[in-house]
Amino acid sequence: MSGHPRRAAITGIGVVAPNGTSTDTFWKSTKEGISVLDRITREGCGHLPLRVAGEVRDFDPPALVEERYLVQTDRFTHFAMAAADQALEDAGLGRSDTDAAPFAVGVVTAAGSGGGEFGQRELQQLWDKGSRFVGPYQSIAWFYAASTGQISIRRGFKGPCGVVAADEAGGLDAVAHAARAVRRGTDVLVAGATEAPLAPYSMVCQLGYEELSTVDDPGRAYRPFTAAACGFVPAEGGAMLVVESEAAARDRDAAVRATVAGHAATFTGASRWEESRQGLAQAVLGALAEADCAPEDIDVVFADALGTPEADRAEALAIVDALGAHGRRVPVTAPKTGTGRSYAAAPVLDVAAAVLALEHGLIPPTPNVFDACHDLDLVTSRARAAELRTALVLSRGLMGSNSALVLRRGAGDAS
Amino acid sequence: MTRRVAVTGLGVVAPQGIGVPAFWDLLSHGRTATRGITFFDPAGLRSQIAAECDFDPAAHGLDPEQIARCDRYIQFALAAGEEAVRDSGLDLAVENPWRVAVSLGTAVGGTTRLEHDYVLVSERGKRWDVDHRQADPHLHRAFSPSTLASTVAERFEARGPVQTVSTGCTSGLDAVGYAFHTIEEGRADICITGASDSPISPITMACFDAIKATSPNNDDPAHASRPFDADRNGFVMGEGGAVLVLEELEHARARGARVYCEIGGYATYGNAYHMTGLTSAGLEMARAIEDALDQARLDRTAIDYVNAHGSGTLQNDRHETAAVKRALGEHAYDTPMSSIKSMVGHSLGAIGAIELVACALSLTHQVVPPTANYETPDPECDLDYVPRIARERKLNSVLSVGSGFGGFQSAVVLNLPREETR
Amino acid sequence: MSDRITVEELTELMKKSAGVTVSPEELRQGYDTGFDAFGIDSLALLGIVGELENRYGTPMPVDAEKSKTPQQFLELVNSVLLTEA
Repeated sequence: MSGHPRRAAITGIGVVAPNGTSTDTFWKSTKEGISVLDRITREGCGHLPLRVAGEVRDFDPPALVEERYLVQTDRFTHFAMAAADQALEDAGLGRSDTDAAPFAVGVVTAAGSGGGEFGQRELQQLWDKGSRFVGPYQSIAWFYAASTGQISIRRGFKGPCGVVAADEAGGLDAVAHAARAVRRGTDVLVAGATEAPLAPYSMVCQLGYEELSTVDDPGRAYRPFTAAACGFVPAEGGAMLVVESEAAARDRDAAVRATVAGHAATFTGASRWEESRQGLAQAVLGALAEADCAPEDIDVVFADALGTPEADRAEALAIVDALGAHGRRVPVTAPKTGTGRSYAAAPVLDVAAAVLALEHGLIPPTPNVFDACHDLDLVTSRARAAELRTALVLSRGLMGSNSALVLRRGAGDAS
Repeated sequence: MTRRVAVTGLGVVAPQGIGVPAFWDLLSHGRTATRGITFFDPAGLRSQIAAECDFDPAAHGLDPEQIARCDRYIQFALAAGEEAVRDSGLDLAVENPWRVAVSLGTAVGGTTRLEHDYVLVSERGKRWDVDHRQADPHLHRAFSPSTLASTVAERFEARGPVQTVSTGCTSGLDAVGYAFHTIEEGRADICITGASDSPISPITMACFDAIKATSPNNDDPAHASRPFDADRNGFVMGEGGAVLVLEELEHARARGARVYCEIGGYATYGNAYHMTGLTSAGLEMARAIEDALDQARLDRTAIDYVNAHGSGTLQNDRHETAAVKRALGEHAYDTPMSSIKSMVGHSLGAIGAIELVACALSLTHQVVPPTANYETPDPECDLDYVPRIARERKLNSVLSVGSGFGGFQSAVVLNLPREETR
Repeated sequence: MSDRITVEELTELMKKSAGVTVSPEELRQGYDTGFDAFGIDSLALLGIVGELENRYGTPMPVDAEKSKTPQQFLELVNSVLLTEA
């Protein structure tokens, strides 16, 4: 054992994603490269010029969340509660474990858009009927902090609670924030992000993103790194993780699935994709330095894969800029092409997929992408078996953030 | 070696306190900026009062394109950011941009713009299947609050970690707390931090109406915000923004910068109790205070002033009084504690940063701002709330606390550098 | 619609406004036990009061949302509705 008593470990994973509402189903779909992108079916969205998305259809809120939360909270919080429950169960942390030391457990989420569907309903009440028809839960359901607050209250967690209301890259920042809270002395953080941006008004808001794909064919709408790249497809859902001090996990004989070894974040301006090349490379170098990891030690890269030619080129170059010649050889994958990008939650799903890939020695493929036009070893068509010890997860946000996270398999000591 | 974090620049947009001099003049004279709402017709609302900013973005150097593109809360942050960076004397052109971070808080972000456009696309709430053709081309910038930190980072060409923090009403304290950690942990040398909110809109007023959190003192707006007073009956909505330039202390000293104070410590905990309710014991806020003091390596008796959350709701005032007594012990009775929300209202996520600017100015001027409108003591709130009149006092270390929906309880300790204590 | 709020109507409101399912029978049995035992907090009562005010077009008594028990709540709101009638 090396002397890292406060190293941050991932001991639990919970997933509510378009391609699976449990970690098992998510991994099965991810490794098989199944694309679930489809026409949007949510009520009131059919007429909008955004036709394809990753919807979470296999989610039964009443079965997973108490009735009062269904009334009091938005869909993004339903996802977060269900994913947090799964992650805690996976980590073997029950109420009896956490009630004993409530200040030792905190919650941190990233949130890109808050409770948009709930908010639209209350706006409708206000403007159609009058201010007296706005209910008491608008004040706690719509705002970006709703999921962190509700998870903390529902599970009795009194540790540090935070919310990075961020770009896509904020999902990685939330995981890193949790790892730093562990280093500062908190034993356990429930960390991650979930999003529910597929309500009519939320979708109208997204139409201004110039990187959004408006292609109607689900098989062709989101194909990063190809000559046919035409933007990204939005999605809902997300993942929550249990990030725990390695020592605390060891004390209770919990399995360390991976360690959060390094992270760094940079900023290069909204939609300035060409400049994101340098920003992303800097983030990777920072994360490698924190992880004390050589570029050649990276065994797989989970790419951001925004899906516009300029952004894809910048990312492909950034990988080589940061990893050198190894950047052309290292397997790169983007399983999110099968589910869409659930904004701040997308990179958290990638972290979940990366941990599962490390555990299974299997790199999941990039659905719908067959003909990559960049100098990368992109894993397409089917999963690839490989000895995996270290994974690099990349994310960029539409508002200009770049973030990189290094994960090591298991306790990370064997090298 | 521990990296210490200095405050080297301040900027503020507060109601009747736009710019640091005007803001300090308001606070040090105990004037109130609360009035009847003028931004829209508040008829039908229970609470029809607010502390509004008479803010002219063009006068703060924003060009027409920026004004069209940026929501009001982002305009506040740009204006406060300009003032703070100028005040710091930093020449960002010669700093390493990868070592400059941004951490800004907001509770409700672009809600005001979101509501404005919602009305257009929904035909005033008639349609669920809204008509996108009526939407403003900049609407997507209101969708996610990350636009706040992003826009300010673009303005100052920061390339380090950039994040928006949104923990409801503790967003301002937490954003500065995250900034403090960012520099302390060595991830940046400079951080442009603070918070901003512009929540005076029908939906936000209506949602607080629905839970009777805001004051219905519509007949006497100037005296409506009455924290700790026995006759208080809710908070008065506010708006504004504040920016602090944080800098690694040696970096600041190397360039001969003016150091207002240091960030000594920051902590936050959840009360795991209720989304809007507070316990009477104040255990979690007390713990945040104790943690922040530990980080600052200060004994509780070192605290010379407490800048209270002091929203003016019954449960807050009692919760907070209990928490401060729990954390500071008998010393709480000897420590002045005031709420500037009595003067500038409660600007949700922004107020924590505005209060930290007030704290830095208190340390500079060695003056404690008062709690305006405080007249009738509440027997359950028995501390020294600095009624109505600012007070000169020797100040070395001050504490600012905040509490917010979702159960967030945060505390920040600011202190003069030890080698400069008075 | 009757001009008195019944236990049945209160249970319907508890479900609609707060997502709490209680049968009228259960509510009658717990008529004088606290709302908190049913999972009804101050926000839930504010929602119920708001719904009643909109339904009956009349303000409910100040502090109705602070009622501790269903009995107390129904007596309070019905006192207003009976006066109105």
